Amino acid sequence: MLQTILKYSLLVLAALSFIYPFIWMLSASLSSESSLGELTLLPVDFTWNNYVTVFTKIPLDRAFLNSALVAVLTTGLVLLSGAMVGYALARLDFVGKNIIFYLIIFTMTLPFQITLIPNYITMVKLGWVDTYLALIVPFALNSLSVLLFRQAFQSLPQALIDAARIDGAGELRIIFQVLIPNIFPTVLTITILTFMGLWNEALWPLIVIRDESTMTMPQLVTLFSVGGRAEGQLGVKIAAAVMLAIPIVVLYLFFQKHFIRSMASSGLKD
Amino acid sequence: MKKWMPYLLVSPYLLHFSVFVAFPVVFSVVLTFHSWNIISPMKYVGLANYRHLIHDRLFWQAVWNTVRFLIVHIPLQILVALTLAELLNRTVRGASFFRAAFFLPVIVSGVVVTILWQQLLSYNSGILNRLLTTVGMARVAWLDDPAVAMYSIAVMATWKNVGLYIILFLVGLQSVPVQLYEAADLEGATNWQKFRYITLPMINPTIFTVVVLSTIGGFSLFVEPYIMTEGGPMNTTLSAVMYIYRQAFQYYHMGYSATLGFCFALIILFVVIIQRRYVEQEV
Amino acid sequence: MIFRLLFVSVLISSCHREQSTDQPITFWCSNNAGEITFAQQQTERWKKLHPDKPLRYQPIPEGQSSEEIILASVVGKTTPDIYANMWQGNVEMYAKAGVLIPLDTLTGFREFIAARCDSAVIREITSSDGHIYQVPWKVNPIMLFCNIPALSALRSAQPPYTYSTYLEAGRQFRQDKNGDGYVDQWLGYTEVKAIWYQRLFNFYPLYLAASNGAPLIKNNKAAFNNQYAIEVFRFLQTLYKNDYFARERLSATRDPFLAQRIATQFTGPWTVSFLDKFKDPGFDYGIYTMPVPDGHQGPVYTYGDPKNIVIFNTCRDPQTAWEFVKTLIDKEGDRQLMELTNQFPRRKHVDTDPFFATFLANNPRLKPFAQQSRYIKGVDNCEVIVEVFDIISQEYEACVIFNKKTPEAAIADAARAVDVLLGTN
Repeated sequence: MLQTILKYSLLVLAALSFIYPFIWMLSASLSSESSLGELTLLPVDFTWNNYVTVFTKIPLDRAFLNSALVAVLTTGLVLLSGAMVGYALARLDFVGKNIIFYLIIFTMTLPFQITLIPNYITMVKLGWVDTYLALIVPFALNSLSVLLFRQAFQSLPQALIDAARIDGAGELRIIFQVLIPNIFPTVLTITILTFMGLWNEALWPLIVIRDESTMTMPQLVTLFSVGGRAEGQLGVKIAAAVMLAIPIVVLYLFFQKHFIRSMASSGLKD
Repeated sequence: MKKWMPYLLVSPYLLHFSVFVAFPVVFSVVLTFHSWNIISPMKYVGLANYRHLIHDRLFWQAVWNTVRFLIVHIPLQILVALTLAELLNRTVRGASFFRAAFFLPVIVSGVVVTILWQQLLSYNSGILNRLLTTVGMARVAWLDDPAVAMYSIAVMATWKNVGLYIILFLVGLQSVPVQLYEAADLEGATNWQKFRYITLPMINPTIFTVVVLSTIGGFSLFVEPYIMTEGGPMNTTLSAVMYIYRQAFQYYHMGYSATLGFCFALIILFVVIIQRRYVEQEV
Repeated sequence: MIFRLLFVSVLISSCHREQSTDQPITFWCSNNAGEITFAQQQTERWKKLHPDKPLRYQPIPEGQSSEEIILASVVGKTTPDIYANMWQGNVEMYAKAGVLIPLDTLTGFREFIAARCDSAVIREITSSDGHIYQVPWKVNPIMLFCNIPALSALRSAQPPYTYSTYLEAGRQFRQDKNGDGYVDQWLGYTEVKAIWYQRLFNFYPLYLAASNGAPLIKNNKAAFNNQYAIEVFRFLQTLYKNDYFARERLSATRDPFLAQRIATQFTGPWTVSFLDKFKDPGFDYGIYTMPVPDGHQGPVYTYGDPKNIVIFNTCRDPQTAWEFVKTLIDKEGDRQLMELTNQFPRRKHVDTDPFFATFLANNPRLKPFAQQSRYIKGVDNCEVIVEVFDIISQEYEACVIFNKKTPEAAIADAARAVDVLLGTN
């Protein structure tokens, strides 16, 4: 009995310490400046002002569209390229297949610190600085998704492919019409991982995007928080942070289980 | 199937690999032997960048900062994650609620978490200091005291990531065969003995994963110090990536910045290899 | 798909570079509302005078900092013809990279500049190779803003200040108003972050004030290892040691100066319109020269935060570009600059020239800045000036903020590090 009480009080305490800061953030963003710093559950002096100010100071709506565009397009490309490469590695035989597999492993262990500066210079030389291309193309393929697709395709029976071949389907049709529907969980995992990673990425946009109309949300919110445009007003910064958090939290509330499983599978890659 | 078909299918990979992995790696090595501010022509400087790096107080400071970060972050991460996973692994009502709650900071952008914690930790008006003063303790300059700032960031990073590791540990714990515990019960083992001699060895690979991911995370730290402290006070929160960023985009020392990136990468690989050795010996 | 993307983008970027013949001269201005209006009016004026020489203005793309945008455009070879707003400290780097036009090679430049500026300014903007790559344009002198009602109660500690009267003001003004054991009312606050440019708003103007405008770098060596720099460090260190200045970041509910949590601040003319817009009734402030050492002789210098005009070598008709710059900064242009932006032209006798008298009469708050503009400095012409300020910043943090070093040791260490830096370059 005592153990049970202890167990639940520990869990509740932990849960509170993870949830309460978010609740505080939400109510602080809806409170007047002078009541910030209160330990509160509900907004004090309720006001929308902070949000109004955020939208007049920075083009957050535009940044939202940029983020959404970049995340959706890139996720699509990652699925496309991952499925193609993963399929070839899983089901086809060709010279150099093993080399490619090892290159992928190598890429995954390579710290990004090495490639950061040269990649920036590539962007500059291609004239992609301040364009969506700089945000999309470098992320259009990722090693983890290739490996996950490879694993998923390997688990499927050869008969599925053979039957499709007899019907005269080409390889692309086999991949995208016959096989993909059978590995939906993997597709979902990759979608979630890629989308979340892109939505939250702040470092790379900071490096390649200087034009405010092309900035993504995390970048804009970071700059807003570091720079002087908030004029030292905390509530406004917090409101900007809330706006950045809301889309992904909403998605999380809908696809909670999938989020957790996807993240766990990325953690288990070693 | 045409013979070239497999190559067509892997061509996106090859293209991407050569532009965004192979070229940068080669170019990075070349850059480390040059001095270059992007707008003037590159100048070959031999090993000067490496010589400079050895004597660069800030490079070693960044390494030391990362070490200080990891010393707090890794044990705390494992302790909290393992405890909560252990609790969740017993039959618990509302387990999925708790899991979802712990996982919330994981999915949110580091930018959000950092802005949030910056307010919680503020010296003059932060909630944490309010709590301290209400119970009669002195305020702490969480982010402005050189002796404290990096540990504040380490605790914050733990808060952000621990949900993921709880899940990983849960997976690990659930994979321990129940028979082992039953056998131990027959022999009259205490809870602690069961944990020490059955659970811990069985989840060793998960611990290794946590250690490796945290190490890489420590060397990738950027948004947190960038927003909260800009590397200060007294450079005590200057992280590896922040220093690379500063050299490249504040001073335009592209060659030196690449050298930093290269050396940090070597350190990461070295540390991870050592960790792997150590874990293999343990098992 | 990726192929196609790549291909299309390569096409786009190559097209982008070809459309170049017979383009109008492009002029990038700053992107705040006042300066955009100014650029627009000046462009209109030019079009009337020279309908045959097309010219268009464009606000610099908004981003994190204009420096980085200029750098990116230099690398991408998409620089404008004229850029008005380059921080003086950045000019030398671009000049050395060979992307700027040496303006003294253009007809009429030397005469014009000699008429506009005095010899000290001309010396300041002359590059180490003897050429001039920038036109001195506008300044924003850093001065001391004081909350008059708040300070009026203090005994023998009224502005303008010397170090000892300022410290005395700090002693009397510092308070723990709510009695929780922590100071919550300070004499002042100035950014404590070690990032280099913050020193332009505290250490550097104080150093210029104390030293009558001495350089930091001379003959490619550190020139600041002197009593002035040491005294500035000791002055600031004392302010922090005694809690006269707030050391922790003041995340106040609103601007601490307006909220009267501090009574003085070091800042520039841009603050005037901000204060007038947000101040409470009864709030009043005055603008004074920077605090100086006791027994200071001569005028009080400060940092002017100069922004200058450059012409990039991508310009196909530099002479015409220069003609435009000339109209941009003639008396008429300068008066419009003041009216539209509240910033000051860097020209001789702004405070006494009758041409500008009406403006100053209408804007009495700005008068101190006009007078101060006689005694301002920019930064030394040094390719690595950013790193020099960064080195000083590091020592500043250790000595002034955290009291880990004596001012003497901190300045000596900074000077040594700067010498090493300049020696390797």
